[in-house]
Amino acid sequence: MTRKQKRILGKVIMLAVLTIAAVFYIYPVYLMFLDSLKPFGEVIATPVSLPKEPTFENYRYVADKISYWKLLGNNVLITAIGIVGIVFFSSVAAYICDRRRNKYTGFIYTLLITPMLIPFQTIMITLLKAMNIIHLNNSRVGLGIQYWGFGIPMATFIFYNFMKTIPRELDESAHIDGASTWRTYISVIFPLLKSVTVTVVVLDVMWIWNDFLLPLLMVNSNTKTRTLVLAAYTFVGQMNTQWQYAMTGMVMAVFPSIIVFIFLQKYIVEGVVAGAVKG
Amino acid sequence: MVHSRRKRKEKLENFLFTIPAVILVCMMMYIPFVMSGYYSLTQWNGIAKEPVFIGLKNFADIFTGKSSFLAALWFTIRYTFFFVIVSNVAALALAVVLTKKFRLSNFYRGIFFIPYIMSMTIVGFIWKFIFTSGFKTFYDATGWGFWNLSWLGDPGMAFWSVTLVGIWQSLGFYIVLYIAGLQAVPGDVIEAAYVDGASRRQTFFKVTLPLLGPSMTTCVFMSLTNGLKVFDIILALTKGGPGQSTYSATLAIYNEAFTRNNYGLGSAQAILYFLFVLAVTQITLRGMSRREVDL
Repeated sequence: MTRKQKRILGKVIMLAVLTIAAVFYIYPVYLMFLDSLKPFGEVIATPVSLPKEPTFENYRYVADKISYWKLLGNNVLITAIGIVGIVFFSSVAAYICDRRRNKYTGFIYTLLITPMLIPFQTIMITLLKAMNIIHLNNSRVGLGIQYWGFGIPMATFIFYNFMKTIPRELDESAHIDGASTWRTYISVIFPLLKSVTVTVVVLDVMWIWNDFLLPLLMVNSNTKTRTLVLAAYTFVGQMNTQWQYAMTGMVMAVFPSIIVFIFLQKYIVEGVVAGAVKG
Repeated sequence: MVHSRRKRKEKLENFLFTIPAVILVCMMMYIPFVMSGYYSLTQWNGIAKEPVFIGLKNFADIFTGKSSFLAALWFTIRYTFFFVIVSNVAALALAVVLTKKFRLSNFYRGIFFIPYIMSMTIVGFIWKFIFTSGFKTFYDATGWGFWNLSWLGDPGMAFWSVTLVGIWQSLGFYIVLYIAGLQAVPGDVIEAAYVDGASRRQTFFKVTLPLLGPSMTTCVFMSLTNGLKVFDIILALTKGGPGQSTYSATLAIYNEAFTRNNYGLGSAQAILYFLFVLAVTQITLRGMSRREVDL
């Protein structure tokens, strides 16, 4: 064999192994979709074969049973509130901490980013009590607001590191033109933060949308305030013998994320990488 | 005069722009943290009006084995150990393959990333179904004993099943980080190694790998913190069983407080957990960054 043939053969083998690995890898997700299209008997008797007659009956049942659209609305509301607050409060704090470096802002910056070291499980017990006192629990808006506090440390850190790369001449010239600090932030700084804002949004949307423990503690007592993941968790628990409904519930819970991922794969992957490298 | 007025205005701005973030972080993190410190020294069932101060008794109880926390911590250590090693080795290997130029390489990357965007609770449930119904069907079809093992029912096996699912869920994340790292390795350095007569293997282990230092630090650090936090997957898959064989530290804190209503003991566990995570992550970070190579 010539060298070239060898190289081609190597590539073919590599691709074959990769394809097998990928098929095995995605198989559980595929199986979940597959079984959501089957009636009960088929899921139990032949869980891994194609459905004889695909039916969306399960979807109708589950959507109705868990009031799917309402839950989806809850998720959107909580995530949106969380994101807007995290991006706004972190970016203004990072802006001041970087542009006005003195003892005070240095202290504030350290104060804001240090909680990255505190694992959520360390504070969850007392958090519940604290949120009870200030009435932020049992409410979707309250949960969204809580995410501000948990998201700010990491987001401030990411914004601050990016802010350092924006030339000071830009806001100084805006200042000389008579723009106030606030005006400068809104019209000069924030637009320049676009790429890093995408990073923060991607990371925090993935976190808040799929979060389980905080919603479990805060909004699980009322079916009206539940999130998608919570409802799926309860629903699968109740349906632990009726796998066809459980599978459908799970598909419906992950479906929005998968659709968004398919369309925004590039941004999501870039955001995740940038966030990890900067965080 | 004008100068001092401007100074005062600046000071006010510094305060106004940062105070919302400070208040929020204090409310959600610092205050509960301090409260945990206090509750860890008390006995409290959540119903009685006031927690009773008992000093270090909760900590003494933990270290004399009156709660299952130390066992749970040990599980967390073993889980994290295998999680970090297997995730990083597998992710690096797949990243090397996926950075080669071929059609559909983006599609493959997407496939490995999909479990990462799904909620861990759902991932746990999918695998529960596969370990029970799916594998049974494979066994009926193939007759291989491998499928018929008690994946979730046997304490020894359950450990590996939980670890496998944890790795499956997050591998895509580490793959994309390694891909980014590999793409940042300058092509001319690799070229130079080949010109100097290095084999592919030598080039990878002697040139590429050392230059991947920063990516590796990031990945090891992230997998370490994620491994230590394991919770959702276990709750969905095994609830800590069989016989506490998959009982993690986070699950122990959760159950102590919210199932058994021992808020004081739970808080003491939470504080120990915090100190443990802090120590492990800081030691690892120091050790890793010292070994990084610069070009």
